[in-house]
Amino acid sequence: MKKFTKAVLASSVLVASLMSATAARADTATADARANILQQVTVNSDGSALDFGTIVTGAAASTVSVSAGGRSCGAGLVCSGTTSAAGFDVTGTAGETVSVASDPTVTLTSGTNSMTANIVASASTLTLTGGTGSFNVGGLLNVGANQADGAYEGSFNVTVNYN
Amino acid sequence: MTNQAFRALKSCCIGLTGLATAMMMTSAPAQAAGDLLVAPTRVVLDGDRGTEVILNNIGSETATYRISLELRRMTPDGRLEEVSEDEANAMEQAAKAMIRYAPRRVTLPPNQPQAIRLGVRAPEGLADGEYRVHLLFRAIPEARSVTDREVPDGGFTIALTPIYGVTIPVIVRYGNLQATAAIANGRMEKDADGQSFAFDLSRSGDRSTYGEIRITKPGVDEPVMIARGIAVYPEVTKRTVSLPVSPDIAAQLNGPVTVAYYEAANDGGALIAKSDMVIR
Repeated sequence: MKKFTKAVLASSVLVASLMSATAARADTATADARANILQQVTVNSDGSALDFGTIVTGAAASTVSVSAGGRSCGAGLVCSGTTSAAGFDVTGTAGETVSVASDPTVTLTSGTNSMTANIVASASTLTLTGGTGSFNVGGLLNVGANQADGAYEGSFNVTVNYN
Repeated sequence: MTNQAFRALKSCCIGLTGLATAMMMTSAPAQAAGDLLVAPTRVVLDGDRGTEVILNNIGSETATYRISLELRRMTPDGRLEEVSEDEANAMEQAAKAMIRYAPRRVTLPPNQPQAIRLGVRAPEGLADGEYRVHLLFRAIPEARSVTDREVPDGGFTIALTPIYGVTIPVIVRYGNLQATAAIANGRMEKDADGQSFAFDLSRSGDRSTYGEIRITKPGVDEPVMIARGIAVYPEVTKRTVSLPVSPDIAAQLNGPVTVAYYEAANDGGALIAKSDMVIR
């Protein structure tokens, strides 16, 4: 809650300061520049990470998928713990259309062991109805046969592209 | 609260979204640093005059951001696809070479804005045309300390860190460039996520078009819907535009409508293209 309030405050403060800065130099700036400066975009993580929970491996290769709808645990695996898809909130001009892109795959490593996951964003284009939009990023984890135990880590890119 | 319930709540009542978001935050550990604000969302440079882009840290922790020049190409369905260094054509390489910007890396405490200065230095004998790069703002994630990791007893856990950011186009127009656009083939489309109004937007000339789509019914001044930030870049001559619509708007998009493409208000707001059509 605290974080959310802060984010809202922060963006309103910047708008206010930009407005006063614009007014102060109105005699030198052109009309084009003035209007453009007020258009802003924010991207916030909603606090949830892409989390596959805890997985106990099996003798055969299998997969675990996680989306906003929940988890699907492949044959031969035991899954436990809570899962989540990574969530993002975007704010900008009302009615703006933006595109969302993510890395198609990511490699996770734990020491010398590794596995791959496919990354899937819930939307490839987003319309900021009323100035806000949100999307989430889920994944499909490819678990090898007798995948070694451990804490696997990796990172992937998610980008909001403005036209 | 399950994610499904969260989604349902969100779609049925926008007013509760803030509350739901706040509730989710308290239940999940807030581990992401790197929330960001960027303004403006589009830069067009003409001549040698530079400009500034504001980057603000709107997260609750100090974050380091990296600013880089990226290449993107528009696909026929209007998405922007990443172009690697090896795939870049001469025009894209020239665009990347002529844009100057600083700083390229900045560490900001919460709510601290930083201006990124942008300039252009066109080489001598540069061919007329529209040159474009996409300025990427992205937080560098903090390295996790080893002691933070919980190694499970049997089985494994996964920690996947998203590195998220925003790109905005930076466009340099060199020479006297013209473009026209046309709208055709308006139709309703249906998929798993609901209904969309789609049409083909074609472009000719040597520069991009950018603006907003306004859909009106005959005799009604107020548009049924407005979609902003619609571009057709020079690498495509035709793209589809697919706009998701709510059921009540979908019900109105029936029979004769006018679809108009206007420049953004701060570019002059002129009409680019207009088409009367009948939607069945």
